[in-house]
Amino acid sequence: MSANTSRKRTDSEDKIAQGEQRTSPPRAPFGKKQLPSIPKNAVPITKPVSPAPSAQSSNGTHASYGPFYLEYSLLAEFTLVIKQKLPGIYVQPSYRSALMWFGVIFIRHGLYQDGVFKFTVYIPDNYPDGDCPVSIVVSTCFVFYSEGSYVCTTVHFIMRSCFNWRRNHNHIWQVLMYARTIFYKINTVEPLNPEAAVLYDKDVQLFKSKVVDSVKLCNSHLFDPPKIDDPYAISFSPWNPAVHEEARERMFAHKRRPEDLKGLQVSGLSWVKPGSTLPFSKEENSLQT
Amino acid sequence: MASAIAEGTQDRQPLSLNGVDPETCMIVFQNHWAQVVKILDKHDPVRSGGGTGVLRYGPIPGDEASAVQNYVEHMLFLLMEEGCGQAGAMGPILEFVVTENVMEKLFLWSLRRQFTDDMKLEQLRMYEMLVGGSRQPLLHHKPVLRPLMTLLSSCSGTTAPAVEAQLVLLLHQLCSILGHDPSVLELFFHASEDQGAANFLIFSLLIPFIHREGAVGRQARDALLCIMALSAENCVVAEHIAENTYFCPVLATGLSGLYSSLPTKLEGRGEDWHRLEYTDWRSLPALVQFLNSLEFCNAVIKVAHPSIRSQLVSYIYNGFLLALFGLWNLTFEEVMTTTAYLELFLRSVMEPALLQTFLSFILLHQHENVHILDTLVSRINTPFQLGTVSLGLFRTLTGLYCEDVMLQLILRYLVPCSHMMPSQRRVLREGDYYSVSAARFLSLIPACCLPKPRPLHTPPLDCILWSKGADGEALSEEHCMEFSCIIGPEVSMDVDYLQYLYDARDSVSHSIRACRVWSAPYDGYDPPPELFQSCPPEDGLGSPPRRTQGSHLVSANDKVNHLELEWDDSFDAVPCPGESEELQTNRPSVPAEPPKHIQEMKRSALMLIRGSYVEESEFQDDVMVYSLVAQKDAQDVVDRSEWKRQGMEPATSSPEKGAPQGQSPPSRPGEDLISQYEELIGALGVESGSPTKSQSGFRRTISPAEEDEVDFSSFSADTPEAEKTPSPEGSRSRQGSNVQAAPFTGPFISVLLSRLENMLENSLHVNLLLTDILAQLATYPQPLLRCFLLNTNMVLQPSVRSLYQVLASLKTQINQRVSARPDFEVLVAEAQRYLQAREEALRSHGEYLLENMPALPRIPPQARNAAFATVIYSEFLKELAAIAQEHSIQSHLPFNE
Repeated sequence: MSANTSRKRTDSEDKIAQGEQRTSPPRAPFGKKQLPSIPKNAVPITKPVSPAPSAQSSNGTHASYGPFYLEYSLLAEFTLVIKQKLPGIYVQPSYRSALMWFGVIFIRHGLYQDGVFKFTVYIPDNYPDGDCPVSIVVSTCFVFYSEGSYVCTTVHFIMRSCFNWRRNHNHIWQVLMYARTIFYKINTVEPLNPEAAVLYDKDVQLFKSKVVDSVKLCNSHLFDPPKIDDPYAISFSPWNPAVHEEARERMFAHKRRPEDLKGLQVSGLSWVKPGSTLPFSKEENSLQT
Repeated sequence: MASAIAEGTQDRQPLSLNGVDPETCMIVFQNHWAQVVKILDKHDPVRSGGGTGVLRYGPIPGDEASAVQNYVEHMLFLLMEEGCGQAGAMGPILEFVVTENVMEKLFLWSLRRQFTDDMKLEQLRMYEMLVGGSRQPLLHHKPVLRPLMTLLSSCSGTTAPAVEAQLVLLLHQLCSILGHDPSVLELFFHASEDQGAANFLIFSLLIPFIHREGAVGRQARDALLCIMALSAENCVVAEHIAENTYFCPVLATGLSGLYSSLPTKLEGRGEDWHRLEYTDWRSLPALVQFLNSLEFCNAVIKVAHPSIRSQLVSYIYNGFLLALFGLWNLTFEEVMTTTAYLELFLRSVMEPALLQTFLSFILLHQHENVHILDTLVSRINTPFQLGTVSLGLFRTLTGLYCEDVMLQLILRYLVPCSHMMPSQRRVLREGDYYSVSAARFLSLIPACCLPKPRPLHTPPLDCILWSKGADGEALSEEHCMEFSCIIGPEVSMDVDYLQYLYDARDSVSHSIRACRVWSAPYDGYDPPPELFQSCPPEDGLGSPPRRTQGSHLVSANDKVNHLELEWDDSFDAVPCPGESEELQTNRPSVPAEPPKHIQEMKRSALMLIRGSYVEESEFQDDVMVYSLVAQKDAQDVVDRSEWKRQGMEPATSSPEKGAPQGQSPPSRPGEDLISQYEELIGALGVESGSPTKSQSGFRRTISPAEEDEVDFSSFSADTPEAEKTPSPEGSRSRQGSNVQAAPFTGPFISVLLSRLENMLENSLHVNLLLTDILAQLATYPQPLLRCFLLNTNMVLQPSVRSLYQVLASLKTQINQRVSARPDFEVLVAEAQRYLQAREEALRSHGEYLLENMPALPRIPPQARNAAFATVIYSEFLKELAAIAQEHSIQSHLPFNE
């Protein structure tokens, strides 16, 4: 999981897109260079890029650091997502932009049980400022758009819930968590999809069967190639032992992290007894002085 | 393997017995032996007619001796080449050797030949060849082993170098056989029982060679290590070594011996020298030898049985560390040398148990009631190179990621959380998600150092890795002005900042991983702040800074230490004007004599006050110090204010002897320096009330500009009260602010920050070290430390100085320089160019050589340090900002996982 956090990119310059709505997917910029992972003598930015119109740019002097702040804010958010270990939710930033994350959510019980929904998180380039910094578009379920927008409804809920976004208090993982609960807990107050809400209130059985149909339909498109062409876009393929078996074994083998780290063990030292604040308080190290 | 028994053998060695019938070999062997016996018998006193001994028959003729020699060589060759018999039985030749007692007879023969060194050599070579070359195990047979042991014991105490070398070679061989075949161990252990001599002869024989230099010593230590490794699995061996041999004492006291032969002064080091590099010590044979022995101790502790390990560790502590570093009444120069040695030893010692010994000595041992650590900290602020070398030592110490060290140095002062506002404890748990602190650090970068669009005529340059100092550690720094990448027509992006981010990523993650073994997260909750506040720590350790007046002696002493150790700080730590007065009047003073040791340090520091040299009796004969003074005088203009601060503390003994004449223009002969500085303190109190100061809100030393205006003669010596003792006023204010009221972040932080505050006057090398240490500290993941250093949002107690405050005050100082000197920006650019060239030189030559360094830039000497410091300052800001950013993604969550 942490592999993604160690990747660095120049932060995105998707800001080129003029007049685009916040919620719309940014155009994948072309010719974007990824930073080499080895830092020596890197001159990474070769392409003219317009800087983020961040607050700092107005005073002129420190505009050049703005992109770094944005990048690190996003990295911090992403690290938080990883650390939360959200049940059934997996997220990975895109290759091309730190402002776009690919995700997938597995619904493990409830009405939408067995549903597997891919989604994309779009973060506006003025993050963390602005009202609603994050929007989520569920991309798998194009079917739902025509059929009754059950999932679409939930997506809009997410956005609305975030209108009171407060920087430092709200984090992207909370948005994801909220997205998850919506699949488990249907809320028909102020629905964005009145049809679905009415159906839920009046005829739960029908609602349920429609949901099941949608989930099935959705899952039947699971192996479709991702709509956004990005090396890090999430794609599914049928189980193929030649490809997957080894990876799977490695995943299980890596359960025990401490052993894994032994090779890299850096020599920190401590002779402090836990609970003590005296140096050399561990008993086994009593010195004969 | 078959190194020749004698020179002649080598020609015959190639002959191969492949395919030769074993029976033929046996017959040849027997025939040779028959010839040998004939000669042997001829000279046997018993057989040849019962004389009383060899002497009667006179010397054995040379031709007979060499005949025997030739036969024996052939025989040994046959013996070596013989394979095992069936089912591991002896081969026929070996059986013959055993039954005929061939080896013993040969040994007797050489005894009969007066057993000169040549005889010994011959015998030793014979066994070396057999032991190393034989295809079947020989040592299991007593008729082979016994003469060998007798030979060995007869060689003990030999002095001939050739014999020693051969003896050690053989012992080494035997030890490596022991390592492979533990069953032989039993044999060796009991072989000498018959003689009633000490058990385990081969071990005892090696001990005298422990500290030997050269190949012999190396081989002996190697052999001993084999046995040490053996001891880890064999308790009998371990017990024997620990209880019946002098191995550990010899090893430890040998260290003392070698240490005492080290040079007490290291001369000819450049001004920037701060620690002993390989290039320094490889040219000092005594030091090389010492390090070899230290390395051996290290290796022994690593592989040996715990009982040996603990014995050795304790001998090293008591026999070496206490004996040698306990000597503190040294000259300045010697103290510096000792410090450099200590640093080198800390770097050389890898084994945790041994490192623990050194560290516990530094952290826990008290000399005249002062912890060694506190003494070392106080030296950071001393003039000359001692301060620089001390900084080097602390860089090594802080680089160990040792909880105990960090606890004593810093964390125990932060754990009570008294340095911050009570409400701020929760901030410790928060992450800096939006790089707020980084932005604040970066916003301090002075305008003259900001990245600017590159002028067209400047050729584009790659990012430059700029390692700090001469130690080869690649800490990258970069120049901000000319090497920024231009993105778009008008916006430039500071590309080298990326480099800092990469480095910060490495250092922070390294630090986080290293600190996983620590006992607590130090996050303001664990260990709980109350722990320090409530329970009085044992033996004066970890004493809380705010403790109420101690009732017992130790705590009183401790308090004194804090008080005294902050003497450097008392000057600039005068809090906001109003408060300081309050403190002065309200706080009762604790009359306390500073520990003698601190007085000494202070006194030596006092020697240099505006170029005057106050001589103390111990230094009377120290020509070295004089020359240092003279050397320093030449450039003291710049360093003046630093020394001044050394002198701020009123010493309890007044310098009666006065200054050596002729080299102190500003101070008048006989002038009482102490009273001058008493006055200065007063003057500063006034200063700190000035509008600029209160406006900025930072407590700081007088800025360079102001300093220039300070007329020292105005604080003339007519103040009567400062004749002999410090003014009660002064000490009261110190105690008030440091011990009782003001939360204290510890002497180490305090001394680092006050040296940092003086950055513009510090030499380049001091600044490199200083910023290096602080950056290193900033990578530590413990929230208490990280937030104190990096979180610019955290609200600290008003009297606590933060790193950010010091940095901000530096920016003010730099701005003042800029406005005072129109060409300052040009000078800074010069300095930048120089530092880059210097860096390139360092990189391409791999080591610091004066001749490779670029020529110093054309910066007037009085502005040089400030120009360099300005460059370092802005690079340091980037470094800190990068570290803060990395923390935000690597360690902003509490200790979990």
